[in-house]
Amino acid sequence: MDIKNSDAAEVLIDCQSVWKVFGEKSTEAIRSITQRGLTKKQILQEFNCVVGVSDASLQVRRGEIFCIMGLSGSGKSTLIRLLNRLIAPSLGKVLVKGRDIAALNDADLRQMRAKNIGMVFQSVALLPQRNVLENAAFGLEVQGVGRDERNRAAEAALAKVGLADWTQRYPSELSGGMQQRVGLARALTSDPEIILMDEPFSALDPLIRRQLQDEFRQLTKDLGKSAVFITHDLDEAIRIGDRIAIMKDGVIIQVGTAEEIVMNPADQYVADFVAGISRLHLVKAHSLMAPVAGYAGNVDALPRCAPDADIDALIGAITGGHSDAVAIADNGGIVGIVTIRNLLLGVRGETADASRAA
Amino acid sequence: MDQSAFVAGFDEVVDNALYWLSDNAAFLFDFIRTVLEGLYDGVLWLLTLPPFYVIAVIAGLLAWRLLGIGFAAGIAAALACCAWMGLWDETMSTLALVIAATVIALAISLPIGVAAGLMPRLDRALVPVLDLIQTLPPYIYLLPAIALLGFGPATALIATVIVAMPPAIRLTSLGIHMTPNEFIELGQAVGTSRWQMFWKIRMPFAVPAIMAGINQSLMMAFGMVVIAGIVGSGGLGETIYGAIRTLDIATSINASIAIVILTMMLDRLTQSAATKRGAK
Repeated sequence: MDIKNSDAAEVLIDCQSVWKVFGEKSTEAIRSITQRGLTKKQILQEFNCVVGVSDASLQVRRGEIFCIMGLSGSGKSTLIRLLNRLIAPSLGKVLVKGRDIAALNDADLRQMRAKNIGMVFQSVALLPQRNVLENAAFGLEVQGVGRDERNRAAEAALAKVGLADWTQRYPSELSGGMQQRVGLARALTSDPEIILMDEPFSALDPLIRRQLQDEFRQLTKDLGKSAVFITHDLDEAIRIGDRIAIMKDGVIIQVGTAEEIVMNPADQYVADFVAGISRLHLVKAHSLMAPVAGYAGNVDALPRCAPDADIDALIGAITGGHSDAVAIADNGGIVGIVTIRNLLLGVRGETADASRAA
Repeated sequence: MDQSAFVAGFDEVVDNALYWLSDNAAFLFDFIRTVLEGLYDGVLWLLTLPPFYVIAVIAGLLAWRLLGIGFAAGIAAALACCAWMGLWDETMSTLALVIAATVIALAISLPIGVAAGLMPRLDRALVPVLDLIQTLPPYIYLLPAIALLGFGPATALIATVIVAMPPAIRLTSLGIHMTPNEFIELGQAVGTSRWQMFWKIRMPFAVPAIMAGINQSLMMAFGMVVIAGIVGSGGLGETIYGAIRTLDIATSINASIAIVILTMMLDRLTQSAATKRGAK
């Protein structure tokens, strides 16, 4: 599984206990957070400061798409801006490729933003006076790349997002979905390793949105880019993200794969969120299976599936034959059994152990 | 100290300061006067070099490019009408005054406006000054100017420049200041330098507001140039002032028509130039 591979991959963004406090007395507020451990509510009462992000730590690895999911006001947009220092943290460190971005001088910071971190905005922010090609080439233009070279790079990026025929149009002539493709192409033209996506698809209608989600994931994986993707939509986070962080009130409540979050929500808030999510393609055999010893029937007669087969595939395997269970095989050996009972619990987002404990 | 003595004392200080300036800084004001009149004479020389129909045709061609054929014909005909009323020289000297004053006013106010747009503190400090300039009756500026520069076009120019500056400063500042935040973020995120942020992001968004400011300054200059007829500015302002003194209603109406023609022509031309730049 690619998730396991990415565990070993290089950490591109390392965000260590980062805080952001907004307000006139933010310095005093930060001091009392570190010394007296005040809560968000106390900070608001005592200093009239708003805690945007509170003690957030996360790591984004090479090749990974990391989603940050939260409702409005949860601090997710602040958090993503801390990663390229559009907002400076009040406390804590952000390392990009091992370098503390707070320690960079202006020129080095510009360089890092230009070469290593691309960004796509919810509002798209296409310059209305420039045509699509000039917008896509903007990053390279700022870096001082010559016109021919940057136009070639921009054309290639626009071709990747399917807008090769639209280079001479102006942003006002494009639909919302196409404008956001240009925004993505602009980020890709500079060939950064990391792309920050700030709710890029939120303003689009559902069909276009799904289409862009799939294309974005495919493109990011094909190009080997890493991405931090902000969304308020859990379905979107599950569709796109390798890992998901769930934020509430400036705090990261839980980080994990979609399956981990759905199967083991950290608290009631997350549990309520994942309640409506379909488990069919999310929950895999390895989190449902029971030990082989517990199965009374003939294991050898059962159909077999791999540990990463999802519930949909397991149902297919059981209903295809006459058995009441599936044997889970890994490296030639049987590692577990998924019975119909396990499957039904899985559809509800529970594991056999959890239901027994309850 | 009772009140009238205080006022008399204050007035004496002002008077003495003005005398001191005209005695001791005469070389400076002579220099300013020479520069201003040189600029005015230069523009006027250019405008009166060809016969009136050449100017009318040039204005018509400009209007054709910017506004279309109907406006072009109207503007050329209107200018010919000024000549036909026997006011061509006056019309051109008024135009020269307006152009010279606006050029000077913009040369000063555009940089100030840009600076104020980038520095909110400067902007806040400028607001009361600009308010003051705009609320005082405009002919107030003629008095110190006439004391220091004497009777003539230089005085008219200085007073006109003062009156014409505020709209350009205000609108330039506003235009530079109101760049949408998402574009500022875009500039930062792609790693622009300050210079690039200004020219590639802020400036394109500010152009329509700046062009509106230029148009407004031009209109203010027109108003002032006519008032400046009192101090011997020459041109239509002086014609009207003379006509008022002799109650020559017919001449004053002719001159007013010529002023309206000039004003509308420049207003239309600069406005369409503004929208053409902004709409692209």
